[in-house]
Amino acid sequence: MDLIPVITIGVAAVLTALLVIFSKNTVHSALWMVGNCFCIAVLFLLLNSQFIAILQVIVYAGAIMMFILYAIMMLNLRENGEPATKKSLFIFRMALLILFLICLTNLCIGFSPLALKGDMVTQNMDHFGEVNLIANYIFSEGLIPFELISVLLTAAVVGAVYLAKKE
Amino acid sequence: MNDHQSIYLALSVILFVMGAFGVIIRKNAIVVFLCIEIMLGAANLAFVVFSRANQSAEGLFMVMCVMAVAGAEAAIGLAIFVLLYQKTGTINIDKFNLLKW
Repeated sequence: MDLIPVITIGVAAVLTALLVIFSKNTVHSALWMVGNCFCIAVLFLLLNSQFIAILQVIVYAGAIMMFILYAIMMLNLRENGEPATKKSLFIFRMALLILFLICLTNLCIGFSPLALKGDMVTQNMDHFGEVNLIANYIFSEGLIPFELISVLLTAAVVGAVYLAKKE
Repeated sequence: MNDHQSIYLALSVILFVMGAFGVIIRKNAIVVFLCIEIMLGAANLAFVVFSRANQSAEGLFMVMCVMAVAGAEAAIGLAIFVLLYQKTGTINIDKFNLLKW
């Protein structure tokens, strides 16, 4: 019944990803990546995970992509065309990629009809993805990883400032 | 609960492989970085699908972790790109063999 939005947004996500890869201009790539982030956010909404969808838009489309755009503006990327890789190396990499695709597909087919039941009761599934369920998880079982994430982010910011600092 | 799960998973696989393909064929470091972000997004999608199928919030929490790691990666990675550009005047990843021995 709601197959049509899923297919539409999925095709849009694949198209924007293709445009990211094949755009000649780096700024266009980054802007198409924002579109891709929005498509993924809509897919999260279709999967009833509202909080994650909002995070996707704010963190990815808002913060990270803005950061990348600023970085592109600092660099002068008007270069001549990219030199092609060696033919044999390219074929080897493509073969590896296709092998990887086959393995992933097999994995997904094997796992596809999931009927596992977790610790969440059925009434709770109506509220799946709402912020209070996630918050309950974060501040009970996921407390240590959550705090470790804050340490990681602090370390990343300190590292970035150290790299950017003038000698 | 199993509504269109395989479609989402197939989409996730397609996006992931497209990201890997972009990493292979492009030479511009920032585009390679964007392709890695595509791969992270595909992994996030798979995490949400499996979280729903498992009926637990662990997958959603993992998505938040992935987003935080992506933010940290963006901060460090772009700082490194800007430094490399100041040093060598290019961000073509074939030109960088600093750590090669």
